[in-house]
Amino acid sequence: MNSSFDVIVIGAGHAGCEAAHAAARLGAHVGLCTLSTDTVAHMPCNPAIGGTAKGHLVREIDALGGLMGLAIDATGIQFKLLNRSRGPAVWSPRAQADKKVYGRWMKATLDGSPNVEWLIGRAGRILVEHGRVVGLALEGGDACVCRSLVITTGTFLNGLVHIGPEQHPAGRAGEPPSRDLAESLKSFGFEWGRLKTGTPPRLDRASIDFDRRVADGRFIVERGDSPPVPFSFASAPIDRAQVDCYLLHTNDRVRDLVRANLDRSPLFNGQIQGIGPRYCPSLEDKIVRFPDKERHQIFLEPEGVNAPEIYVNGFSMSMPRDVQEKLVHALPGLEDAVLLRPGYAVEYDFIQPTELTRRLETKRVSGLFLAGQINGTSGYEEAAAQGLVAGANAAYAARDSDGAGLELRRDEAYIGVLIDDLITKGCLEPYRMFTSRAEHRLLLRIDNADLRLTPRGRDAGLVDDHRWERFSARKGRYERNLDVLDTTMLRTASGARLPASQLLRQPETRLADLVRQKQVPLFELGSSDASFDIASVETALKYEGYLRRQMSEIERARRNEHRRIPSDFPFERVPGLSREVVQRLRHVRPDTLGQALRIPGVTPAAVAVLGAFVGRLSAPAFNS
Amino acid sequence: MFSVSDTIVAIATPSGRGGIGVVRVSGSEAASIARRLLTHRGALEPRYATRTKIRLTAPDRGDGGPPARSAFATGAFDHVVATYFPAPASYTGDDVLELSAHGSPVVLHAIVMAAVACGARLAEPGEFTLRAFLNGRIDLMQAEAVADLIDAATPLQARAAFDQLDGTLTRAIAAIDATLFDLIARLEASVDFPGEGYHFVEPAALAHAIDELRARTEALLTDARRGRLIREGLQIAIVGEPNVGKSSLFNALVGSSRAIVTDVPGTTRDLITEVVDVDGLRVTLVDTAGLRDTQDPVEIEGVERSRQAVAVSDLILVIVDRSQARPALDEIRQLSGYKRLIVSNKTDLPAAWDDPDAVGVSARTGAGLEELRRRIVEALDVDLLRDRPAITNIRHITLVERAHQALGRARAAALAEGGAMSEEFILADLSVAREALEEISGRRAPEDLLAHIFSRFCIGK
Repeated sequence: MNSSFDVIVIGAGHAGCEAAHAAARLGAHVGLCTLSTDTVAHMPCNPAIGGTAKGHLVREIDALGGLMGLAIDATGIQFKLLNRSRGPAVWSPRAQADKKVYGRWMKATLDGSPNVEWLIGRAGRILVEHGRVVGLALEGGDACVCRSLVITTGTFLNGLVHIGPEQHPAGRAGEPPSRDLAESLKSFGFEWGRLKTGTPPRLDRASIDFDRRVADGRFIVERGDSPPVPFSFASAPIDRAQVDCYLLHTNDRVRDLVRANLDRSPLFNGQIQGIGPRYCPSLEDKIVRFPDKERHQIFLEPEGVNAPEIYVNGFSMSMPRDVQEKLVHALPGLEDAVLLRPGYAVEYDFIQPTELTRRLETKRVSGLFLAGQINGTSGYEEAAAQGLVAGANAAYAARDSDGAGLELRRDEAYIGVLIDDLITKGCLEPYRMFTSRAEHRLLLRIDNADLRLTPRGRDAGLVDDHRWERFSARKGRYERNLDVLDTTMLRTASGARLPASQLLRQPETRLADLVRQKQVPLFELGSSDASFDIASVETALKYEGYLRRQMSEIERARRNEHRRIPSDFPFERVPGLSREVVQRLRHVRPDTLGQALRIPGVTPAAVAVLGAFVGRLSAPAFNS
Repeated sequence: MFSVSDTIVAIATPSGRGGIGVVRVSGSEAASIARRLLTHRGALEPRYATRTKIRLTAPDRGDGGPPARSAFATGAFDHVVATYFPAPASYTGDDVLELSAHGSPVVLHAIVMAAVACGARLAEPGEFTLRAFLNGRIDLMQAEAVADLIDAATPLQARAAFDQLDGTLTRAIAAIDATLFDLIARLEASVDFPGEGYHFVEPAALAHAIDELRARTEALLTDARRGRLIREGLQIAIVGEPNVGKSSLFNALVGSSRAIVTDVPGTTRDLITEVVDVDGLRVTLVDTAGLRDTQDPVEIEGVERSRQAVAVSDLILVIVDRSQARPALDEIRQLSGYKRLIVSNKTDLPAAWDDPDAVGVSARTGAGLEELRRRIVEALDVDLLRDRPAITNIRHITLVERAHQALGRARAAALAEGGAMSEEFILADLSVAREALEEISGRRAPEDLLAHIFSRFCIGK
């Protein structure tokens, strides 16, 4: 053994980068193992960050001291705040990235971290002694010592790429899969599954005359917001030229071509077994499953300011290359477009995340952490969020920190919802975050992500002094601003005098207007996050009734969340539980009665029985 | 909390003597207990009534000593009809053995003790039903209905309880829940997939959909009043001047000489109550002291109690004596705030006056009593014969009220001045409504919201 680390992270994608960064921030000496530093934080599919609920995840990663928000703010080429017409709880930022520049930014940032060392090579066998990770052997090479290991291999575990009848083992198109690592992981007896995802073809930007197609009405221009709302609480205002994207629609020719060639699609001829994401259906899926829908939206998105590739959003498929060319040319305005790379589907192995604890450590091997697609999720943001949690906990585990760790609750973060869903329910299809998964959605907003989580991040050791000072100033402003609105008297339309905080309860009164008209002169605004200063104060006042009701729902639910189940609790010895229920409970090992209630198939009646026994009998004193 | 995995036994029929009595055994030992206690050879055919004999096998005390002595110690001692229901198709979901023997408390007790000697345990009250719930045979609503059915004192009570047991209310709630679920799924889709270019629910359609749901929770709540009357019954107070025949009428309605009747005014001092069935309604009839000014301290207390009884009654029967001069009692006028029915008694005597609104009866001969019963039901305004599920349980009513209020808030948000509030606010209240409805049946529906969305809409760019 020639090198020794506290934490080794396998894979430098979105999960791996956050994991390495978080562990390093906690003082761990980190080895970041990757095949090549050319593909750090790579975006093999959509060159974009954020979207509904995903944007929330990025804000939370940022509030906890992570990198993703800063990275996209620095390298984004088009920014949009989605759901702007709705309430502040469901506003979600989304941005197109210059994908090459994004990867370079991330690599440079990790290069600048003295605690992160690159380990170039292919991860092979996981070395375990007495049920604990002790190191990692690289394929055909050296073994490294480590105390914790974080695996973030994305689609590389037994990856199999399909383009029509063509199949080749690969993690992504052109990159070999991880087989030894897969074997090594399988030897621990985890429950496995197989999933599928896909990506659309890329077109040559130079072969498309965008201006002409906009002029003749084939394409509709999609512009970014001006000014852009940044993802990070720590970013300066973004003042950068933004690129345009274009919207078009499929037509009958596309539909007929898909139908005529279904037997050549691996998705429909039985060649692919893995389960794909329903929320991101392939073109074949859309045409077959929704025959009545006349047309489907397609977006053309540049992969960078000067990048030659155009990403055809909404056109993911696994058809043979010749069919893909015909399909692209059937799209209105793309008759002459040149196909640079075909779309493809990839099947890969994942480990059922019910194998994990809330810290993303496996229950079977201590010191072994998993994050990202290997846990059945899809999306860069979902991966990054898990990476941050796994990395922080791996660092804690490496230094024997008396059981300390980073665990987030469902009522404080989308990240908490994400991890609780994964470890409680497992995955039947790739898991994507949605706002509807968060039962306390009105409280989990992008404007208050810092108020919710930065103190947690600071306690965990993830938030540096600079960010903490910035946050403290912002929190001070928030509290002073609430006071200012309570004491500033304003005249209503009817002539009555009311505190501004009362007036703001009316939907038509907007704080931004009051501030602009200088009616609340003492209102303080930060330099770059002015829109969030306004949003968090206004939301707290305007929707107070709703927020209070959700808080009291949380209080009610907490009774179950606070009833802890010991980790060695003998579920099989609780009388009256069916065999299936016992099996599920033993597999998931819920840490609270609340979590037990969320396990599919575990009835409230079963939880009531369980509660009676957990309350009275600790495991050692249990008599059958 | 008691164990739910062992075998339990209890007498299922009421205590006392009867033609037959039933002993019920539930649990994994039921079949072995049948084998040991019955003279029948071989296994009982599932769900068939088998005529056989029961004997008391002398239990081995495990200490090698002689078996316990009993008059029944050996041999058969009764004919029984035995029925064996193997799990899970039984009342409790366990293996169940039901033994119908002659209804002698001594015999039934001996059978229970014999089952206990074979390893069964005496059941706690309600434990068979608890097991049925824990084993998923019935939901919480149905478990509650079993208790109500057993306690039913009138046919209507029994009918309401049976409807609930049979799942009528479960289905009514489930139907509301399904509509609500679909609405929630469509609203969620609008929030989570804003880029799809179409509104899943138009604001006007949304308010309309919520109104329809509210009409259904409203109907359940209206029904709940009727349900409460059926379940808890009503109170009717009989008031009037001294010696107009209140106690005679009370006795006539009760059907026995429950109250003392004399010609002496002020005979009734304390309240006398009796539960009677009036056309299927469970009615507590209260006979009160005559309302008059008196110096007698006992009678003063009686008059005060009468006033209190009147205050909590659902209906007042004001009795007047038709054979005497028309009364002008202040006390009776003061009853105008209550739901009341004027009953003119003593129609068997020559009439001194007439009142077309009053119901004429003769407590002595029984004339007019049928008409009185009909008028009582009419006055109570309890629509008994509508064929709709009645919610009778206070837990259910509270939860339906919670759902109804949440729907009201959602509706207000959808119709807010200055434009509908955004879907996520409406959803916050719709989710509260849905949780309340699902709490009624004690089960959270397993449907996956997103699965519903994806099966209906093509989503994802």
